[in-house]
Amino acid sequence: MNEIINSLRRTPYQTFAALSVLFFTLLLSGLLFISLTFLQGLLNYVETRPRVIVYFQVKAEEEQIAAVKEKIKNTNKTSEIKFVSKEEAYEIYKEFTQNDPLLLEMTSSEILPASLEIDATKPEYLPELAEMLKNQPGVDEVQYQKDIIDNLLSLTSKVRKTTAVFFGYLMFMSIIVLTTTLSFKIALKREEIGILKLLGASNMYIRKPFIGESIFLGVLATALSNIILIGTLISMNSFLHEYFAGIPNLMTTLAGVPLQVWPFNLTFAIATLAVTAIFSLFITLISSFTATNRYL
Amino acid sequence: MISFQNVSVRYPLGNVALDSVSFDIEDGEFVYLVGPSGAGKTSILRLLLDDIHASEGSITVNDFEITAPKFNKATELRQQIGIVFQDFKILPESNVFENIALSMLVKGFQKARIAKEVEEALHLTGIEDKKYLFPAQLSAGELQRVAIARAVVGDRDIILADEPTGNLDPKTTWEVMKIFKKLEKKKTVLFATHNADIVNSMKRRVIILKNGKLIKDKKNGGYEL
Repeated sequence: MNEIINSLRRTPYQTFAALSVLFFTLLLSGLLFISLTFLQGLLNYVETRPRVIVYFQVKAEEEQIAAVKEKIKNTNKTSEIKFVSKEEAYEIYKEFTQNDPLLLEMTSSEILPASLEIDATKPEYLPELAEMLKNQPGVDEVQYQKDIIDNLLSLTSKVRKTTAVFFGYLMFMSIIVLTTTLSFKIALKREEIGILKLLGASNMYIRKPFIGESIFLGVLATALSNIILIGTLISMNSFLHEYFAGIPNLMTTLAGVPLQVWPFNLTFAIATLAVTAIFSLFITLISSFTATNRYL
Repeated sequence: MISFQNVSVRYPLGNVALDSVSFDIEDGEFVYLVGPSGAGKTSILRLLLDDIHASEGSITVNDFEITAPKFNKATELRQQIGIVFQDFKILPESNVFENIALSMLVKGFQKARIAKEVEEALHLTGIEDKKYLFPAQLSAGELQRVAIARAVVGDRDIILADEPTGNLDPKTTWEVMKIFKKLEKKKTVLFATHNADIVNSMKRRVIILKNGKLIKDKKNGGYEL
């Protein structure tokens, strides 16, 4: 360890450059990992709560609504049907517009529609239920989660593609910078490497200190980036609690293992650390092998 | 056992470093390699280390047939050979102990054995009191003693010395030769030199080279060209 630290201290600028690039790569890859797992968690959440919302015309009678509710219930494809009256809708509206009294003044419960929130037993029943509801008397609009899921799927796919391109570029840059830094150090030790080879040192023996050095930088960059990532998540906790109000948890899978993304927990922090550590190891090993290969 | 059979080394531009050289060296023998600059002495030592390749002929060192078409045991071969150079080739950032220990570390010896053997080598070369000094604090003679100590530790039974006294004054040269004399019968020593005084005063087998050719191979010979 002392040898590694001494070697790094002898070339402070190269060490700083390599550490900075590694740090930013790991920080961004950590952020991308968290964003993707959140999106995936949200997608999974929405998919597991198949719901149709039907809005009735303002003039629709409560008997009409009750009849629709009964008809839908008789399909046996629903798990829960919740009636939201005009007054309840107005209460919800009031809550949303509490910071804007002017909007509230312009609205009354009379102009808001009553609605039914229908949870289906399976997501595939949603289109069928939505189609059936559209043809019922007094129905104004039917919304179901296909649109939301499609949007989320499209967003997740875009984020994935962007992440792949962006991450590929970052990784490439990190490998180039780290390889160049190590090559410089190896060039300085060319004579020493020559002596070691004549003494019968194996290629692995010669590589070991350079690999150790880059892994040390990788560990440092992983630790720093994870401190920033976890700090950011903790500082955003109250905002996210408001944002995800009503969502008890978000789950995804990582390498086939279920992982709770939200609320934040130690397992998720460890998973983020593990992902960044694996990237870091990959970058440092590729760089040190590429750099040493030129001289062995 | 070292065996050279009709070994030639030709470089791509046509110059010949060695021309059909043959000789055998038994275990524990002390052999001088003499000849003017460019005679092929260093080429023989580099061939033995698999640092350059023969164009023709066969070379065997212990159980290694270096000239075999798919020879890939250079590391293992070098682990059996100790090297002493005219310019010492000592690591400047390591102290005396670390420089000597390096020869055993690359072979994976345990710390306790390394400590024991390095102490013995320090004693053999007479630099026990320089153990923790760095190369910049040592004289040329002391640096060459470190190189010899590094060459003898770690079960290395062949010592290749390439002009080891070339950078030393006469007094130090004889001190270094005394160390080599102590290694006789224990190690196989191949000693390349220009120094006629050494060859003539410590008479051993002499292989004389000229323009890449072996012109004489004499037991108890002297320096003659």
